[in-house]
Amino acid sequence: MQEKNVAHIIALSKELRWQIGDDFHDSLAESIYADASKIVEGSVTKGDQKSSFRIDSKIDKIVTSKIWGFPLMLFILGVVLWLTIIGANYPSGMLAQLLLDTCHPLLKEGASAIGLPWWLDGFLIDGVYLAVAWVIAVMLPPMAIFFPLFTLLEDFGYLPRVAFNMDHLFKKSGAHGKQALTMSMGFGCNAAGVVATRIIDSPRERLIAIITNNFSLCNGRWPTQILLATIFIGAVVPSTYSSLASLSAVIGIAVLGIFFMFFFSWALSRTVLKGEVSTFNLELPPYRPPVFWKTIYTSLIDRTLIVLWRAIIFAAPAGAVIWLISNIYIGDESIALWAIHSLDGFGFLLGLNGVVLLAYIVAIPANEIVIPTILMLTVMATGIPGGEGVGVMFELDSVTATADILKAGGWTLLTAVNVMLFSLLHNPCSTTIYTIYKETNSAKWTIVASVLPVVAGFVITFLVAQIWRILG
Amino acid sequence: MTTYNPTFALLLFLALIIVLYFLFRPNKGLYYLLRKTKKSNAKTIIEDILKLLYHNQASNNALNVNDLTNHLKYSNRLLIENVSKMIENKLLFMEGDALKLSELGNEYALQIIRAHRLWEKFLSEKTGFQKEEWHGRAEKKEHELSVDETNQLAALLGNPKFDPHGDPIPTSTGRVAFKKGHPLSELAVDTVGRIIHIEDEPEIIYKQILAEKIYLDSQIRIVEKDDSRIVFHSEGEKFVLAPIVAGNITVSILENKVLIQESTTRLSSLKTHETAKIIGLSKECRGENRRRLLDLGFVKGATVGVDLMNPLGDPTAFLIKGTAIALRNNQASKILIKKIEHGKTTT
Amino acid sequence: MEKQPHSACDTCSHFNADGLKKLGVQIADFDFVVALAGNPNTGKSTVFNALTGLRQHTGNWPGKTVTRAEGAFEYDKQKYKLIDLPGTYSLLSTSEDEEVARNFILFGKPTVTVIVVDASRLERNLNLALQILEITDNAVLCLNLMDEANRNQIEIDTRALSRDLGIPVVATSARHKEGIPELIQTISELANNKIQCTPRKIKNIPQNISKAVQELSASIEKEYPEISNSRWIALRLLEGDTQIVEALKTGTFI
Ligand SMILES: Nc1nc2c(ncn2[C@@H]2O[C@H](COP(=O)(O)OP(=O)(O)OP(=O)(O)O)[C@@H](O)[C@H]2O)c(=O)[nH]1
Ligand SMILES: [Mg+2]
Repeated sequence: MQEKNVAHIIALSKELRWQIGDDFHDSLAESIYADASKIVEGSVTKGDQKSSFRIDSKIDKIVTSKIWGFPLMLFILGVVLWLTIIGANYPSGMLAQLLLDTCHPLLKEGASAIGLPWWLDGFLIDGVYLAVAWVIAVMLPPMAIFFPLFTLLEDFGYLPRVAFNMDHLFKKSGAHGKQALTMSMGFGCNAAGVVATRIIDSPRERLIAIITNNFSLCNGRWPTQILLATIFIGAVVPSTYSSLASLSAVIGIAVLGIFFMFFFSWALSRTVLKGEVSTFNLELPPYRPPVFWKTIYTSLIDRTLIVLWRAIIFAAPAGAVIWLISNIYIGDESIALWAIHSLDGFGFLLGLNGVVLLAYIVAIPANEIVIPTILMLTVMATGIPGGEGVGVMFELDSVTATADILKAGGWTLLTAVNVMLFSLLHNPCSTTIYTIYKETNSAKWTIVASVLPVVAGFVITFLVAQIWRILG
Repeated sequence: MTTYNPTFALLLFLALIIVLYFLFRPNKGLYYLLRKTKKSNAKTIIEDILKLLYHNQASNNALNVNDLTNHLKYSNRLLIENVSKMIENKLLFMEGDALKLSELGNEYALQIIRAHRLWEKFLSEKTGFQKEEWHGRAEKKEHELSVDETNQLAALLGNPKFDPHGDPIPTSTGRVAFKKGHPLSELAVDTVGRIIHIEDEPEIIYKQILAEKIYLDSQIRIVEKDDSRIVFHSEGEKFVLAPIVAGNITVSILENKVLIQESTTRLSSLKTHETAKIIGLSKECRGENRRRLLDLGFVKGATVGVDLMNPLGDPTAFLIKGTAIALRNNQASKILIKKIEHGKTTT
Repeated sequence: MEKQPHSACDTCSHFNADGLKKLGVQIADFDFVVALAGNPNTGKSTVFNALTGLRQHTGNWPGKTVTRAEGAFEYDKQKYKLIDLPGTYSLLSTSEDEEVARNFILFGKPTVTVIVVDASRLERNLNLALQILEITDNAVLCLNLMDEANRNQIEIDTRALSRDLGIPVVATSARHKEGIPELIQTISELANNKIQCTPRKIKNIPQNISKAVQELSASIEKEYPEISNSRWIALRLLEGDTQIVEALKTGTFI
């Protein structure tokens, strides 16, 4: 459509605006509300409302009370995490059994039966298929438990109360109480958490919430934490306490993440984000009993679809890349080996090693495949027997076997602790980075959000490594 | 790896951090200072001289070249150099010892002041910078805005008449609205007035006023006054100020005592089980914040009550038009209410 | 006063249950566009799901939906594209979180706008409804969450409300699928121009503002004679809304 000549209209509007004065918006808002209340007077009659509001306010009194408010919150968070971590083990094991132990050999047999060339077979079945299968086995169960539980809380109306209770802490670090919600969404999936920041209507606080969401340990990273805590931290205490010790170590990492979230919120709001507009308001909706089974069903189906989709889009290519770099040779070293050796020095400085760093580079698309990648690369780099072939991603069924491989790869307690820390503090996965870009529409903030956690990770692991070595 | 030593690595790292800190720390870092010195060129000096003369001329204060050195942070040589340049360009003329603004100089000074105040208005409406930062930022920005940009800025803000401190913004033709008021420190006991201006310089005093949560446009009544302190009531709160601080607040005296709303208080003072009617939003509630509160129903005449107190004290949830909405205390303190006496409560 | 929720339109033909087909995401060649607008947490997404058979996320907190979602249904052989919008408190501000909804209501040109309101908090919700009625002529008020209102002993005279607002009012409980047939019927009648709306315009505006609005909207209508919501555009121009200024130049809102 061609541009119309509207300059005179705009000029007129400016002139009129000047005449009306500053309280234009106020008067308009007031008159609309006045209209609304007149209409309501004519059509609404209220009976005695006390009874129904009483239940709501009773719940509210407990949920936000000085004594019960915070313990209740921690208790609920604890129960949700516990159910997720413990409950996910069984379906995870079953899926691994089915997809890795049963289907994988079958596929391999089938491939050799129809005479597929070794490289195509390796590329497709050992690379692509295994990565997808792994992600499904590891990701699906915790997500399928976490999200329905979260949805139930959400439908009941509890979440805004959490934001209400916590806001003071968030305010002190320059953030918005609703960040408590986007943060807990982040425990499920950081990309989902980043999208959810749209509920924060204040630009500055929203950016803070986006940039710091990655400090919420997402579902893809929980399995890494649990595995390493079981192998290395559970082992240093008497065996009766080992599961307790490893569980507390994992929760400790998650809490550390929350601490970093607060710290970086505080730092960001006082430096680069100082000038962004900041407002606050939080509506507390009435409590509503959730439609239990329907909610569980819908969010289960929903999550399953999302996880499957992600597995195919992101994990499959990553699997292919892993297989390729281990099987393409430059001179007499595979690309993977070459990279490991060049990263080893820096890795050592951080109390990690080249394998771990390479695994994190390869696993940018999906955090879930970090552990199998590490195992595979370790087997290849050390040349110990135990793997399934060069560039084949696998996970050993028994925890002890995994521990043996890692220890053969030179892992110590320090390495494990630092990998756990680094798993918390590193760049967001590619989906999250892309989501951040879409949400902020700014390359600058996307870069800040991606680089900030890695730098934090480098600094923290470096400090831990040096102090550990000085003391040890 | 043969030279590796964890203690050494750690020390090296610490040294690096310290170096970075000194390079980049805000306001005092080397990087920052370098950027700043580059900017204080002739234009800035000339404009600062103009402003200083304009403000002193308004209070009938004649200044000579020596006074300039006392007031401005430039070297003597630079100032003399620029003053003679300004006289050459007919911005200034000498009257005996005293420096005087010419017509042209006056106009130029007004343009700078316009840019300064508009930028403060912009910062208050469209950004989240703290109040105490507005002045410093405007001091820099005023030298960067061209006349055209200033006019565009004014249009964007809807041609405001006053800046966030209550100072009039000169129009593009150089008209300045006039506000008559008295320093708070000079008012007698029992005087009733309205705060029309809060001076933002010097910063130390301004910060004290801000810390007290004294708001522009609020009504006050002096209740006590002696040489060491001034006590006044405003919006249901009691304030105690030293005379030197009170001197930076300008009040216009309200003659018609019928208008006085002694019962007006701030929403932040509402307690559980009390209800109130909203009188309006304070002038200090600005920009997006103000619009959002209006959208949420915090409009004149609405009934409001406390719904929930917070375990940590802040924010508080208020019941307004049937919904519980939580606001932080600093927001609630900018909503003016009149409490409804017992027995007349509504839900 | 009636306690039962009932359709505002008693004379119209009855709901034809066989004519309804939920189409989910098959949106190709639709005949009409229907937008779901309203305050946050009033059940827009629940209504959306009831109409399209989709599973758009719902949740009991304001701001659950943050992007617009599309779906479709077929009724009496006509296809309707349905848009679920994020909730907004008002259209008067320029805040980013409300941009999606604001832009769609003004520039998306829906055939019918369904204003979903919370029956227990009518006054607050009418604030937005009145603003929407300034923009569009073809709207229906969906008085949702009626079950809660009944529990809270709030009675609403839908006939009086419909008369005051000048648009049809349908009482629903979307979660229990109550009132949805009547809503569909009303939407279809509005889309086929079988009901004429005379939406209420905001009154009570102070004299100086309404005079300015009149003057400005007159000059807008001179440039764009076919426009129906010049008053709203005038209000936005006075506010200095840069998006509207842009739209005015290109004529996007016609
Ligand atoms: N009791 C009852 N609850 C309802 C009804 N309609 C919706 N709800 C519930 O109200 C809550 C909000 O519903 P949504 O559909 O997510 O609301 P929305 O308007 O889309 O909210 P936003 O996307 O945040 O703007 C959910 O918990 C629904 O289950 C109803 O008719 N009766
Ligand atoms: Mg919704």
